[in-house]
Amino acid sequence: MKTIFEYEEHTTGHVYDIDDKEKKGEDILTGLPKDLIRKELPLPNVSEVTVVRHYTNISRMNFGVDIGFYPLGSCTMKYNPKINEDVARLDGFKDLHPLSPESCIQGSLQLMWEFEQDLKKITGMDAFSLQPAAGAQGELLGIMIAKAFYKQKNEKRTKIIIPDSAHGTNPASAGMCKFETITIPSDSRGNMDIYKFKELLKHDVALVMLTNPNTLGLFEEKILEISDLAHSNGSFMYCDGANMNALLGISRPSDQGFDMIHLNLHKTFSTPHGGGGPGAGTVGVKSFLEDYLPPPRVIKQDDKFTLDHSKRKSMGRIRYSYGNFGMLVRAYCYIKSWGTDIRRVSEHAILNANYLLSLLKDDYELPYNRICAHEFVLSSKKFGDKSALNIAKRLMDYGFHPPTIYFPLIVREALMIEPTETESKEALDRFSVALRSIAREIKENPNIVKGAPYTKSIGRLDEVAAARKPNLRWITSSRPDEKKDRGGLAIIR
Amino acid sequence: MLMIEDIRFTKEHEWIIIKDGLAVIGISDFAQRELGDIVSIELPRVGSRFGYMQAMAIIDSVKTSSDIYSPLDGEVVEINEELLEHPEWINQSPYESGWIVKMKPSNMQAEEFNSLMTTEQYNKFIGEMKKEKE
Amino acid sequence: MDYIPTIKNDREEMLKQIGVRSINDLIVDFKPHFNEKLDLSKPMSELELVEHMTSLSQKNKILKYFIGGGSYNHYIPSAVNHLLMRGEFLTGYTPYQAEMNQGTLHAMYEFQSFICLLTGMDVANASMYEGSSALAEAVLVSSSYNGRNCVFVKDGLNPQYMEVLKTYCEAADLKLSNEIDENTTCVIAQNPDFYGNIEDLQYISEQAHRTGAIFITCIVEPTSLAILQPPGNYGADIVVGEGQSFGIPVNFGGPYLGFMGVRDFLLKKIPGRICGMTTDSNGNKGFVLTFQAREQHIRRERATSNITTNVALMALASTIYLALMGRQGLINVAKISYSRAHLLHNKLMSSGFKAMNKNPFYNEFLMKAPEGSSENISSNLLKNGILGGINLAEDKILICCTEMNTVQDIESFISLAKEAIVK
Repeated sequence: MKTIFEYEEHTTGHVYDIDDKEKKGEDILTGLPKDLIRKELPLPNVSEVTVVRHYTNISRMNFGVDIGFYPLGSCTMKYNPKINEDVARLDGFKDLHPLSPESCIQGSLQLMWEFEQDLKKITGMDAFSLQPAAGAQGELLGIMIAKAFYKQKNEKRTKIIIPDSAHGTNPASAGMCKFETITIPSDSRGNMDIYKFKELLKHDVALVMLTNPNTLGLFEEKILEISDLAHSNGSFMYCDGANMNALLGISRPSDQGFDMIHLNLHKTFSTPHGGGGPGAGTVGVKSFLEDYLPPPRVIKQDDKFTLDHSKRKSMGRIRYSYGNFGMLVRAYCYIKSWGTDIRRVSEHAILNANYLLSLLKDDYELPYNRICAHEFVLSSKKFGDKSALNIAKRLMDYGFHPPTIYFPLIVREALMIEPTETESKEALDRFSVALRSIAREIKENPNIVKGAPYTKSIGRLDEVAAARKPNLRWITSSRPDEKKDRGGLAIIR
Repeated sequence: MLMIEDIRFTKEHEWIIIKDGLAVIGISDFAQRELGDIVSIELPRVGSRFGYMQAMAIIDSVKTSSDIYSPLDGEVVEINEELLEHPEWINQSPYESGWIVKMKPSNMQAEEFNSLMTTEQYNKFIGEMKKEKE
Repeated sequence: MDYIPTIKNDREEMLKQIGVRSINDLIVDFKPHFNEKLDLSKPMSELELVEHMTSLSQKNKILKYFIGGGSYNHYIPSAVNHLLMRGEFLTGYTPYQAEMNQGTLHAMYEFQSFICLLTGMDVANASMYEGSSALAEAVLVSSSYNGRNCVFVKDGLNPQYMEVLKTYCEAADLKLSNEIDENTTCVIAQNPDFYGNIEDLQYISEQAHRTGAIFITCIVEPTSLAILQPPGNYGADIVVGEGQSFGIPVNFGGPYLGFMGVRDFLLKKIPGRICGMTTDSNGNKGFVLTFQAREQHIRRERATSNITTNVALMALASTIYLALMGRQGLINVAKISYSRAHLLHNKLMSSGFKAMNKNPFYNEFLMKAPEGSSENISSNLLKNGILGGINLAEDKILICCTEMNTVQDIESFISLAKEAIVK
């Protein structure tokens, strides 16, 4: 398929009526000095028909939850309710300028305030910031809060403890705030090793950052003990809430001892993944940290809602405006649709995961033989090196999106599978049949698996060439001195 | 007495050869196989100093990123700039055209160099590593 | 509304297969248990939800906007939304499995290309969160590249962007400084700036480069790039900004679209996802995520950034917008925005307002209202459904026009402003 830059020139049709000046032939830009004006704009000019066909056709080379089963572990690819799309597009929400005066934004402020109350109830936290644009930005905010807190207390704490199963964003977020990461190994039951934890929990530890259930899909069996130890050490407990889909109405992070949490609205709270975002990563804290949340905060006074812009003890705002409001609307609507029944979401997420696990554990290896939460990790290492990759590619031919592979790092040839609650037993049965069939194929006809996929719009792509000979943008003839295929690029430190 | 052209290995899979008073350093064949197809390398600046086992370069493959550690205390006097355009040489020829840096040892004693693993010791070491993996 | 398809029979079979009697047996070890029922509202059907959400949205008031300040009210062609709502685009995730998501990757490649064409940079990533945090992350790139820790910001940066910059710098132990010297990691300038002023920033880029600092340009109203010089032409090393003007509604502040483009030498430091063109085993052209070894899931604590989820769908929206508008359409939008802003500006000058821009401006400009009048003028406009700009100190108002402000709208603005002038 062509890129949009390779079509013949057409009229776009999207040209608006200017005022009389232009019609009289006067140059609109006379006021601008010539050296500020651009000489050429090398953008394509294509008709609407062509544009619509172009993007419609490329969309058909994609796969989404709307098409089929998407068990990408850690991402919670549940069905995205269409009603959420409608309400997010209500004029009163989408056309509201963020700098409108408070008297004109009462509906949106009310939504944000009510949403905060719902998130407080679900997690047991005392206050939420709706600013972060994604889970990773939520983690960053959490670490900024810890940094500000210890600075004000004059305590020098520069380390963060994470388990070896942690998602890469955890240490990366720590690095952005100049914190060091201490990694604790997992024990034979998949919990963070509590003895090693005690050993390394020193007075320079600011935060303990855990996902619960963890990235192996297992509930941390010693969570209360870990929280107590952390608190006695004067450290915070931070919950990476990526796996909240297992806890709704079942167990609250605050009761587990967490002082802070971020929630990925595009995971548990059903906002669509959009091919890689936008998401939102709301951050909840216990009351002693409320003053560290970035301004502005939504306050309710009688029947009116107002914005408090005071910085209090926070490091400051972390993004322009209030948050990814469009995603807040969707998640708010989702919570309202479930209401007090929201526990069923987690119950069925856990049921589906355990059912699928029971169907697959004989053909694949289960590194930790425990009841799983809403996701589980299998290993295909008995099928050899790169087997997880090959199995993933072969699954595409069976009409499924592959699970997450090679994560968490502590399991060799890892396949992380998260069915979510919006899948039927029938879908799970079909998926297990496919995976068991591929397990047989690997033994009987390994080449067919190694060369997959065969039925997608493209065959297996050469990722090495993509990096060694990068072609990262379309080069138009306006910069003819540049080569179309670039050689390797690198930096010298 | 340092043996010229004697090769030694570190636990992090770097190799080192002393030639004309300079230490030539690269990564072992085992390491390049573990990393997979190498797509780029970040080299240190000429003139920078590194301590024993301090990270001095980063090798990226498609799916991994690995630190390369200095096997001695010293100063970088030459870097293999060709690797910027041809990172694949590290895979194809890890001991020859895939050399990474040349360093001037600040104060290398024979014992230091000899405490690194010989070829025999290194082969035993990676043999045990492979067994542990299974 | 129930999105769980599992019927009772199936549930029982599944429990049997697992080997437990009830779902409670599966969560018995999730301690501490939450034994109450969550104190949320009653579940709502779609019908009730529509009523509830519509009534909430109607508590907002949509005004006629003569305001910018980081969010710009441009017209969005209807095709954008229709294409965006396709389930294939909306409901997939990051294309780690490239063969299954060539659509997303193809669009990413086009987005990266558009950003490079507009800004004059060599490489762009697949998007950041929004403009201000993109700017903050550009500073981290710069510091990671040259190891320095002082940041120089030319005056005229959007105040919210400045706040965000300060937060990120404090977190990363970087300092804002008034000097450009050998400690300066980067020099930042917004163009056009917060007050609308456009400048040829060649002289700033030279100052930065003389000391070995990186020059970062920040573009908050990118339709300006249709007619103004791309920052690549005046020495920018990094261009960041806000893409909301390209096909994204003002949406009460988000989700928006951060973008980052860099020159070649910074490729290994740029955060976020990057798509590259490559071939499959049969020589067919396709796309993959590439240079992943920069990112958090591989570099972990050594990554320049922790960014994972970005705003792929917004990047797609802007790609479709730019494709629909084309060269003709985008230049046209920029010219009308410029023209309307200058029309209003001139009429305000004839009505007793003082022009405050020391430089040429694009579609946003600063005016000083007759003494003591700015509050009165704003409230009179507001009473008549118009948001007349951002009120700043000393009777100054920052006003913006786009193609959405008709000549009639401008006439209304003038008469309402005139009648509210305090004598």
